[in-house]
Amino acid sequence: MPSASDTVTAPGAAPAPPGPAAGRPRLGRVLTIAAVVALAAAVLAFPGLAPNPYILSAGIVVLNYAVLSTSWNFVGGFTGYISLGHGALAGLGGYGTGLLVTKAGLPSLAALVLAMLLVALIAVPIGFAALRVRGASFVIVSIALVLIMLLVFQSWASVTGGSRGLVVPRPFPDLLRPEHHRVFYYLYAGLLALALGVWWLIDRSRFGLGLKAIREDEDKAEALGTPTFAYKLVVFVVSAAFTALSGGLYALWFGDLDPVFQFSILTGSYMVLMALLGGVRNLFGPLVGALVVGTALEFFKGSFGNTPLHLVATGVLLGLVVMFMPDGVLPALRNLFARFDRTRQSSIREVSAAELRDQRLQSTGGKA
Amino acid sequence: MTASLETTDLRKAFGGVTALDGATVRFRHGQVNALIGPNGSGKTTFFNCVTGMIRPDSGRTTYRGADITRKAPHAIARAGIGRTFQLCRVFPRMTALDNVLAAVRPGGVLGGLRGARSRAQTDRAREWLTRLGIEHLTDVEARNMSWGQQKLLELAGVLMADPETVLLDEPAGGVNPALLDRIGTLVRELNAEGRTFVIVEHNMDLVMSISDHIVVFDRGRPIAEGPPSMIRTDERVLGAYLGV
Ligand SMILES: Nc1ncnc2c1ncn2[C@@H]1O[C@H](COP(=O)(O)OP(=O)(O)OP(=O)(O)O)[C@@H](O)[C@H]1O
Ligand SMILES: [Mg+2]
Repeated sequence: MPSASDTVTAPGAAPAPPGPAAGRPRLGRVLTIAAVVALAAAVLAFPGLAPNPYILSAGIVVLNYAVLSTSWNFVGGFTGYISLGHGALAGLGGYGTGLLVTKAGLPSLAALVLAMLLVALIAVPIGFAALRVRGASFVIVSIALVLIMLLVFQSWASVTGGSRGLVVPRPFPDLLRPEHHRVFYYLYAGLLALALGVWWLIDRSRFGLGLKAIREDEDKAEALGTPTFAYKLVVFVVSAAFTALSGGLYALWFGDLDPVFQFSILTGSYMVLMALLGGVRNLFGPLVGALVVGTALEFFKGSFGNTPLHLVATGVLLGLVVMFMPDGVLPALRNLFARFDRTRQSSIREVSAAELRDQRLQSTGGKA
Repeated sequence: MTASLETTDLRKAFGGVTALDGATVRFRHGQVNALIGPNGSGKTTFFNCVTGMIRPDSGRTTYRGADITRKAPHAIARAGIGRTFQLCRVFPRMTALDNVLAAVRPGGVLGGLRGARSRAQTDRAREWLTRLGIEHLTDVEARNMSWGQQKLLELAGVLMADPETVLLDEPAGGVNPALLDRIGTLVRELNAEGRTFVIVEHNMDLVMSISDHIVVFDRGRPIAEGPPSMIRTDERVLGAYLGV
């Protein structure tokens, strides 16, 4: 019996014609590339254009959100498991980095990387426990994670500083404040690029297709031979690692950690909202969502102070997205552009049953 | 002839309902086997226990001599047993091509990072779609396909994994007569190429015309087995199932 690995080539297989799936419609692709280039340029140019350090630091916060929601999307987007507990992983990354600098005296960069590895390690038992349950149960387990961490880090004050907070010394003490911001802005941009790159790599891989099969129908994927649990665990650990890096970078940038903010359900909720808003099936979905929601949040905070108003606004936004754009903004935009694109192949839903039958008749020589 | 798939005294109860009540069955290698029986006689539960989707309360399953009773479904699939589901299951928001490609085993960690749409695999997937007559739907998402097309797609995916033994749960359920013929012919062809089949099916014409060996279930256990000619006239079968 031949195996299913790709060493077997089907004998006499007709060379595959480059069907419509070989590329998205041409206009769509050009627009996508243009949008990505424009976005990258805007992100890179932003520090030069920011009128003051306050705006620049708001940019860092938004980039932090972008990295967090992209990291979240490794689990949420590929497998469809909605984690509200990712805030805990970011908090662990932050405290891990902070404690390794303050207590172990490690250089900042080493502390950041080591904290990431430690969180990845901790993510294994967490994933082991949480990924056994599906649907609403998974969401609840993930929330529990945040609450447990909050309790631990608040009460273990001798190490974590408890509610008084943990002050993390700056990695570049000689830099002036604007320079400090500028450096961290680019560090975050680099981390974002890395996270996007890895997501893209998985998206097009066999591993990624297996993960998407889990999202579609987990039992079916398992029946086809996909070790679903191992797949989920691996991608959860990858997601945790990126989330921890983002949290660690935040600790080094902001320099002051408080359990209430580090282990907050809100952080995880924002990640979910941003990813859903942009579209979890898209590489850039979480990024777009973070730009929209993050900017709105910063604007609200800047103009109205820290009121519960922005929470209401986010809640309403989430409701609207789920109701009117269940796949997020990016797919909605793409459909909009597709309407103006005359070169596009007719969409699947526009193929009528009669057309299908005709195609079928042709392909079977009119016998069916 | 060698036994391929063999169960010993499989039992499974759901609350008060006994679905499998000591099922001891042998399916031979290289044959087209049918598993028939009234609604609720435990056929689907039998498939679920054999493929690891449900854990039996007691009993044993062996495949080609190896005990697979407590193995995970993916491990059983990798051992060479593929299956379809009674209520046809495909990945609704994937194209037909991706549905079939999803059955490819990555081959290790590095293999997992290779592109899902490699030339070799895509060619193989297209070949299966062509063989099942749905190549014109290659880029259509499964959710936009008709019931019959989805059933063919499910089968294409299962076959892409290259199983030695294929369990089909009601392949003819809800499909038109022309398609029925196609499925029958396909099963015989695939069997001639060396694949063993176990088919749960209520359509007696299909069962009688394609199977070498028939096992009849009633209330969670086999009550008769033999070649079609024998089953057709077996009195217990007539009483329990054919309702004569
Ligand atoms: N998951 C389940 N939970 C509870 N009861 C179940 C479950 N699966 C099957 N049963 C019960 O077990 C019995 C056998 O069901 P099964 O689906 O195996 O029958 P079947 O022979 O496949 O019937 P059909 O020909 O109608 O498909 C039925 O009484 C059914 O209600
Ligand atoms: Mg059944």
